[in-house]
Amino acid sequence: MIDKVTRLEDLGSLVSDGDSVALGGGWFANHPMAAVRQLVRNGTQDLRVITVVGSIDIDLLVGAGVVSHLEFSMVTLEAFGLAPNVRRAIEGGLIGFTEYTGLGLLIALEAQGRGVPYLPYRGPFGSDIPAHYPEIYQSVQCPFTGEELTAVRALQPDVTIVHALRCDAEGNAQWDGTSGPDIEMARAARRLIVTCEEIVPRSTIVETAHMTKVPGFYVDAVIEAPFGAHPTSHVPSYAMDAWQIAEYAEAANGEGFAQFVDQLRDESEAEYRSRVLGGDRDRVLRALAEQAVTLEVRP
Amino acid sequence: MSDYEVHELMVARVAAEVDDDGVVVMGSFTPLAYAAYMLAKLTHAPDSFLVGFDAVGMQPIQLSFTGAEAAAYKGAVCRWGMLTEVNSIHLSNRGGVEAVSSAQFDGEGAINLSVIGDFDKPKVRLPGGAGAAEVIKMYRKMVAYFGNHNSRTLVDKVGFVTGTRWKVDAEARAAAGLQPGPIVVVTNLGVLVRDDAQPFRVESVHPGVDVETIVENTGFELRVPDSVPETTVPTDEELQLLRNSIDPFGTVKFDFVSGKDRLAYLKGVLDREWKRAEASLQ
Repeated sequence: MIDKVTRLEDLGSLVSDGDSVALGGGWFANHPMAAVRQLVRNGTQDLRVITVVGSIDIDLLVGAGVVSHLEFSMVTLEAFGLAPNVRRAIEGGLIGFTEYTGLGLLIALEAQGRGVPYLPYRGPFGSDIPAHYPEIYQSVQCPFTGEELTAVRALQPDVTIVHALRCDAEGNAQWDGTSGPDIEMARAARRLIVTCEEIVPRSTIVETAHMTKVPGFYVDAVIEAPFGAHPTSHVPSYAMDAWQIAEYAEAANGEGFAQFVDQLRDESEAEYRSRVLGGDRDRVLRALAEQAVTLEVRP
Repeated sequence: MSDYEVHELMVARVAAEVDDDGVVVMGSFTPLAYAAYMLAKLTHAPDSFLVGFDAVGMQPIQLSFTGAEAAAYKGAVCRWGMLTEVNSIHLSNRGGVEAVSSAQFDGEGAINLSVIGDFDKPKVRLPGGAGAAEVIKMYRKMVAYFGNHNSRTLVDKVGFVTGTRWKVDAEARAAAGLQPGPIVVVTNLGVLVRDDAQPFRVESVHPGVDVETIVENTGFELRVPDSVPETTVPTDEELQLLRNSIDPFGTVKFDFVSGKDRLAYLKGVLDREWKRAEASLQ
């Protein structure tokens, strides 16, 4: 059977300088962080990065000089503040940007996945965003009812990288918790890279086929990356590492950011894991997810 | 009951807008909004249908910065993705109530989460609106909440329209194929409501606040009725639920801590979350 398994260290052969790269995950959930770190290590440059709701993934790439243009509907470190590197880069005119509306971006990816040049929808009426991007948003009239709709143009990333729970060698990829925009990004891509917590035999995928959200024919490369979403979450396996994100925010807001990036560059992903997840941290992050509390509704 | 803090009053007032009609979508972990939905589901709206992250039909959860997402999936009946959620809930007119906050908000129900200053070369680049541009017109009730009611946030006209209610009065909404419903603004000072072509009306003032303070701190025109009642304060039961069940770590208060104390407060909450998980390993 076809074997698409690739090493994280070989990511450079799949992502070239100047590519447009869509990154999956949303909020502080399930960003393909192992791949993000590898792009930093590789010194990849001039990427046109696409994110729906980005956080530390995007801020790190921008701060490390990997990105020349950002397409996004939101980037935030939430409780830890605005994304400092993204702010500096856009306010200082250091990178270009395209601010999409959130559904506009998802539907642009969906259009590409369906093979149509655009899709109509009940769009961002009254928003100032579409007027800035006539090459993306146009008004169209429904041919049946005459209703005014928004047309959003299909968007094809050169590469999409998403992080899954598990995957087999053919690339049949499963999610359990948050998949966010991953499926639309996967279907729209020219090349699709799936990183995953674990590579498993086909029989495991077959037994749990209802969890497969991206079948293997979409996939070009499969990379095993345990804790590959860290410090963002991969629920239900582990929670976000808020302590690591706080350290990141402190470095990115202060003098220590260059050192933070150098440290990532000088270590392999395995070394990163043993440095950051040492002690009890991996077990605490798993316990935070496992023991999260639900409350009983009164009968 | 007088022993409440203003963030608890705001949670209870936002919760009062939640009902069993339609679907409530939360997106990422925004503590005050999450707390309000949980409180509603545990009290007057047990059949409200909640979606948080990609967890559809979730049970109420205990709030924490690190555990909210995992908790949402634990009691959920379905797991979708972002696009399925917005297509199936918002764009198909099934959205019930949604609470938002923003850097700027104006009397037309427009929000700015994009920029302060020039769009292409901004003075402050804000996070962006995610789905706000499309969805805030769609759901039945728009609730906007602000922990610091002032005229730099509640402005005459936002500097940039990231998203907007678009149509406000019931007739205009119905004509555009939207569900009629109000905009309710809940702040640390009072409650403002708009559901017609007229300006926002001061619905209530929180205990200890006078109407003049609200008018002075609001950048858009207000209608002030002759008599403005006080906002209903949280009940003992609501406070118990909030403090002991829903938010024992104190995540909601974080957004009400300012300046230098903010990071220390956040670290305190995270410390308590870590310690509880660590203790469970023994």
